Amino acid sequence: MKNTKKTLLALAGALAVSFSAGAMAEYPEKPINVIVPYGAGGDSDLTTRIWADAVEKELGVPVVVINKAGGGGVVGTSFVANSKNDGYTLINAGLGNMLVTPNFSKTPYDFGSFEPVVKMTAVPLAVVVAEDSPYTNFDEFVAGAKANKLTQGSWGASSSGTILANIIADQAGYSVKYVHAKGAAASMVSVIGGHIDSAVSFPPAFGPHVKADRARALVMNQKMDAFPGVPTFADYGIEGSFEGWSGVFAPKGVPQEVVDKLVAATTKVMKDPQVMKAYENIGAVIDFRQGPEWVADMKVTYDIMKDAAAKVKK
Amino acid sequence: MFDNIISGFGAILSVGPILGIIAGVIIGIIFGAIPGISGIMAIAIILPLTFYVDPIIGITMLLAVYKAGIYGGSISAILINTPGAAASFLTAVDGNALTKAGKAGKALDISLFSSVSGEMLATLVLILVAAPISAISLQAGPIEKVFLLLFAFTVIGTLAGESIPRGLLSCCLGMLFAMVGMSTITGASRFTFGYTELMAGFTFTPMLIGILVMPEVINVIRRRRVPHHEMMITHSPDPADNRISFKEFRSVFRTILKSSGIGTFIGALPGLGSSTAAFIAYGEAKRTSKKPEEYGKGSVEGIAAAESANNAVCGSSMIPMLTLSIPGDDVAALLMGAFLIHGLTPGPLIFFEHTETIYAIFAGFLITDLFLLGIAKSGFRFFVKIASLRRYYIFPCVTVFAFTGAFTAGQNMNDILILIAFTIMGYSMRVFGLNPAVFIIGFILTPFLEQNLDQALAIVGTDYHLFFASPFSWVFIALSAFFVYSSIRMRNKAARTPQEKAV
Repeated sequence: MKNTKKTLLALAGALAVSFSAGAMAEYPEKPINVIVPYGAGGDSDLTTRIWADAVEKELGVPVVVINKAGGGGVVGTSFVANSKNDGYTLINAGLGNMLVTPNFSKTPYDFGSFEPVVKMTAVPLAVVVAEDSPYTNFDEFVAGAKANKLTQGSWGASSSGTILANIIADQAGYSVKYVHAKGAAASMVSVIGGHIDSAVSFPPAFGPHVKADRARALVMNQKMDAFPGVPTFADYGIEGSFEGWSGVFAPKGVPQEVVDKLVAATTKVMKDPQVMKAYENIGAVIDFRQGPEWVADMKVTYDIMKDAAAKVKK
Repeated sequence: MFDNIISGFGAILSVGPILGIIAGVIIGIIFGAIPGISGIMAIAIILPLTFYVDPIIGITMLLAVYKAGIYGGSISAILINTPGAAASFLTAVDGNALTKAGKAGKALDISLFSSVSGEMLATLVLILVAAPISAISLQAGPIEKVFLLLFAFTVIGTLAGESIPRGLLSCCLGMLFAMVGMSTITGASRFTFGYTELMAGFTFTPMLIGILVMPEVINVIRRRRVPHHEMMITHSPDPADNRISFKEFRSVFRTILKSSGIGTFIGALPGLGSSTAAFIAYGEAKRTSKKPEEYGKGSVEGIAAAESANNAVCGSSMIPMLTLSIPGDDVAALLMGAFLIHGLTPGPLIFFEHTETIYAIFAGFLITDLFLLGIAKSGFRFFVKIASLRRYYIFPCVTVFAFTGAFTAGQNMNDILILIAFTIMGYSMRVFGLNPAVFIIGFILTPFLEQNLDQALAIVGTDYHLFFASPFSWVFIALSAFFVYSSIRMRNKAARTPQEKAV
């Protein structure tokens, strides 16, 4: 009797395994939807579309990009968190909606609601001043900020830009007055017009102005060929990773086979020169990462954001 | 700069943009000519479709719809005395009088010629001054923009609508609705009542369609028993009545020049629109006319003044939007959305960053005027036929387009709910005599005021005197004071002579 029960259980188990394996072997068998939680045409949208176009050919099914903007990314992100975890609904997420917003406002999802799949790109944060600014390097800027109350453009009190800028300022021992605009690009107008002293910004926003000699990047998160001679935060002894990034996530509990398939497809396309060129054109750095190490890195950033939020709430 | 314009013409003179302009002009004239629908509704509805084409094609097409739509309004105004938009109100007065006298052809001609002249002149001004203004406007920081916006609100308050309290209430309602959602500055949620869907605020396109388009559909249903007007061009046996002679055109050319100037100036001020321009230019033309007694009874000069002024607004309303990234009216706000979606951020830097695209769009502006002239002149009969289709064919289509347009913009079901909610609101506003256009302008300008005020306060800190340190600030304070003073004077004058209130 006991034996029969055991055999039956084993049989059922084997059946279940073979069934799910059989079903998974066919993934993907229908179009995959990728939600972009922001509007069409923005950085996040472009990054996703380049990826979707490329992996579509690898996977053999359409990869459809759907914009679900609203609530600073919360609407689209919540939608995916509550979707079926069968691998047919994915999200393109980033630093802001994945690690910052859940800590600063009440959201129906958290970092733990998702299964990280793959990180595609990063955009390094920089401190930027106008070309005619008296501060020609970061040391002078720090000295200036210690002596006078300087203004710095960012995009919202609890936005990723301001939090990262605060961490930088804390380590370098200065403080600034934030002047919030709608995004990194909007601040650049005030910098160039001479209305604010500096801004934190990303290459897609400040790149054209640096190339046209209207603005100067003093320090960046990492070296970039497009901006030679700009030192990194590490050069000034500032620790941490200061970048915006973009990656694909699935709802929690998605089968490992799905993740593996997507990672394999992404691995292949990220080496494609056409894809690399497309990312370069929009000012993003390819930063292909996946697996436990990447998740651990995100967890570190998440905890930093949590501390920052706790400070604000106090 | 001239080589920029020439290269702009090079970019625009290819199949795609030209087809876009032709389609835009035809759609614009038809939408403008159908009573109850206007060019802005056409723009709102077809805007989402332009996301899928090149920015040069998409934006020039939308601008063509805008220009042709304002002109199209004068067709139904002249033929059956139903102005499609408020801007055509005066054209309806004089134009329909001419139609009744059997001179419909003459009225249609003068309205087309003065519309196109007004547009051409304003476009030339736009091309010549926009880039220099953008260089100056870089000097206008948050503090200066706060005063510019306060000036805009003063202008809306003093000039919009026939009743100041209702105008102010409409504007305040617009401001209130603009505050819903996450504050871009602090990240705090306001008036969301726990709905994450409201965190980004109300989506503009569905809201606009709800406020402006759908109440007209309801109105048509309510007026279904009103007999249908067949539009037709009456032919007079005297050929001189069916067209405008060169001599006649030359005699009103001074009026056209002056009215276009007024229209261009009014359009460049944020907060005013084509109807204000038409009323002011008409009043001015009448004041200085040799034959003021003809005005209102079929004056060719009157049509010329109103039409050239309201069309001149199209070009110049782009100036504050492109140089300061402050949309002056509802149409400019929609077009600004189109620019943003195509990756062109309006503002002083657009001339550096997207020189080629901007000048191609400018060149498209000028070419649109020529196409408008040609298409409208050769197709009068066709457009009149389409515009006199029975309402029960037209308005179901409008409803379908309105809902599709609201949905495609964000591919979000919530936008449909927003559309329905604002349809109810827009209809109620009409019932209570509130002004939907002022509501929209209040909604559009409030986030700009809030953001610039916040930035200005952060920059000024505790040194409040810095608010008044810039000459720009004083210029706009003086302008605001002048507008309040002149509107009080105008109202007192109107109160003394109530029979002339319409002008």
